[in-house]
Amino acid sequence: MKSKLSMLLSALLLTAMILSACATPAAQPAAQPAAGGEQAAAPAGAVNLQLMGWASSDAENVRLQEVVDGWNAANPDIQVSLNLVPDYDTKLQTSLAGGAPPDIFYVDSFRLPDLAAAGALLPIGDKMTNVDDFYPSLREAFTVDGVFYCPPKDFSTLALEYNTDLFDAAGLAYPTADWTWDDLRAAAEALTNKDAGVVGFSINPDFARWIAFLYQAGGEVANADFTAMTLDSPEALQAMEFYVGLVRDGFAAPASDLDSGWPGEAFGKGRAAMTMEGNWIVPYLKDQFPDLKYGITELPAGPAGKATMAFTVCYGVAANGRNTDAATRVVDYLTGPEGMKAWTDLGLAMPTRQSLRDGWLAQYPNLEPMLNGADYARKWQFRPGFGDVLDTINAGLQEAFTGTKTPQAVLSETQSVGEQVLAR
Amino acid sequence: MATGIKQQDRQDAIAGWGFMTPALILFAVFVFIPIFFAIYFSFTDWNGISPPAEAKFVGFDNFRVLLFEDGIRRADFFKALKNTAYFSLGVVPTQTALALLLAVIVNQRRLRFKSFFRTAYYFPSITSSIAISMLFLFLYQKNGLVNQVLQTITFGAWEPIAWMADPRGLFHIIFGWFGLTLETAPAWMQANVLSLSVWDWLSGPSVALMGIMILNTWTTIGTMMVIFLAALQDVPREVYEASEMDGANARQIFFKITLPLVRPTLFFVVTLGLIGTFQVFDQVYVMSSGGPAKTTLTVAYLVYRNGFTNSQMGLAAAIALLLFAIIFTLTLVQRRITEGKKE
Repeated sequence: MKSKLSMLLSALLLTAMILSACATPAAQPAAQPAAGGEQAAAPAGAVNLQLMGWASSDAENVRLQEVVDGWNAANPDIQVSLNLVPDYDTKLQTSLAGGAPPDIFYVDSFRLPDLAAAGALLPIGDKMTNVDDFYPSLREAFTVDGVFYCPPKDFSTLALEYNTDLFDAAGLAYPTADWTWDDLRAAAEALTNKDAGVVGFSINPDFARWIAFLYQAGGEVANADFTAMTLDSPEALQAMEFYVGLVRDGFAAPASDLDSGWPGEAFGKGRAAMTMEGNWIVPYLKDQFPDLKYGITELPAGPAGKATMAFTVCYGVAANGRNTDAATRVVDYLTGPEGMKAWTDLGLAMPTRQSLRDGWLAQYPNLEPMLNGADYARKWQFRPGFGDVLDTINAGLQEAFTGTKTPQAVLSETQSVGEQVLAR
Repeated sequence: MATGIKQQDRQDAIAGWGFMTPALILFAVFVFIPIFFAIYFSFTDWNGISPPAEAKFVGFDNFRVLLFEDGIRRADFFKALKNTAYFSLGVVPTQTALALLLAVIVNQRRLRFKSFFRTAYYFPSITSSIAISMLFLFLYQKNGLVNQVLQTITFGAWEPIAWMADPRGLFHIIFGWFGLTLETAPAWMQANVLSLSVWDWLSGPSVALMGIMILNTWTTIGTMMVIFLAALQDVPREVYEASEMDGANARQIFFKITLPLVRPTLFFVVTLGLIGTFQVFDQVYVMSSGGPAKTTLTVAYLVYRNGFTNSQMGLAAAIALLLFAIIFTLTLVQRRITEGKKE
């Protein structure tokens, strides 16, 4: 019995030795950050930082690497390595929970409250150069309970894209920034051609689109300090009846009814004369539908005036990172006048600093409606746990689109789920 | 003499433990410890972001919220359970019956191109689930192949639908033919049972879920067929010959000889099917993300969604444990039933 035990122990010991022999070389760089493999040229004593984000288009990935290379060349003491990963949220969450987060990482404004509530983020927003230069609406998107957590790296706003050929064929004037809901509906009706399989407008059952109509109608998701939900309101009902009504009356359709993966594709295929997407649709259309003739204008105004949504991402610094000072300096460069100009000159996303507005517009005048949106855009950011509300209202919108649920029922249900989330 | 045997025993034990150690360590690291932590986290409010040590112990709160507290969490859990149950009820019998049928066919002595058919039927099982799911997304589009075929064989009577965007339940559609809708449903159907209305419970699988069910059946059938094929080849030839001598027809041979002799395999295949369907995740992840209108939200996907997009890892762990308990119970019940028939 005793010998069996000792044999077992020695077998375990042997395995442990083999495993530890394998593990030792891998463990060393963690203890000595300077000994990183890929930055062999870096001088001894330099701080190595990791910047983690999600991969986007090739052009963007290459440009970001160039901006980072520019920093590395000018700052031998702080070397940044870029790590663009798929399945980003899962990866970020596990590395945060594992206690070894990347020094700098992308944070979507919708995700911010969850990360802030978990204490994962160091508030660095106010340490940035000339903080007031950032658009107030974008600073707001990364502010929770009065704390400005992280500076926005770029942003997109929703605008109205229209197919000029289809408008010409129907003999209609192009949409303008002065349009109202009535103009939108009338044009969508006139442009809808059932036999050709074309609808006037493509919209998905998606909270992230409908919410612009909610704000245009003067509705709100919740009160200012998020102590009560306000979705069960006449304004919200008006917005949802308008949005769902377009689909139920056949003037608008979700992408799936137009054999497309998303409204941008339906628009590119000419199956929808208009859609409402953000800046990301521009490189997509250029790449996939180079012959498409289209224009961009601001979203139409609702009963309570103009509103759009700003979708933005910031550079967050991990609260328990090892080199937070160095990381903060890097973020200040990336979102500073110089770094941001280098990044946004690509034209895919817009600069978040007002001082860069004119220079950028000189290069991309056709995107002015999207940039104008920054003045009246609302933030895409709520409270921790708001994912449940998002799921509920998206499910409700899907049912409303198919006619199995009334807009009022969707709003009542979402209101109730929101109250539960706020009460947690 | 006695010591010799003892020494031999000891050496066998050394060799045995030695060979098993790597597997045991891997098992401990990747199975045992994670299960232990899952159980631990199910009693905490861990958000999945902050260090696990900061998670607060909340006792049975997560389970109470999921099972006894009216609200969105219980509604989502039972909705997912309902979807998963419909999924399982549709897929398991179909895939088992079809797999057995295919196995019997490719097991025939006089079949030509036998290996071609065996390969062809097994092929979907070894292809990447993600790639096939992407492919099926195109097939299920409104102008996709599925609608076109249905239109051709119904001479244009079939109205094309966007399969993966259609939240209507199968039973709801059938109720509709008889004029029964949510508005005309009797009062007892509007009553709430476990945070869902009776009407919702009786929805049947949604069109989108059926799309995934068809795909899932198609991809798993091959594996089940191979298992049945192995069992069929174990049935002694003489039994068939004897029954033929006694004048049994093909139907009698199948139901009186083949089926009883492969019954243990049948149990195995149904169990595998139950476990597989109750854990379905990848196809939902790729094709629908739980939509439209949460009708393809399965329990496994709900675990993922709570853990990784809604920052409620503790709740997710509790759901995972409940899922384990459900699968465990179902398997036991099913074993009772199958064994009961044997006697």
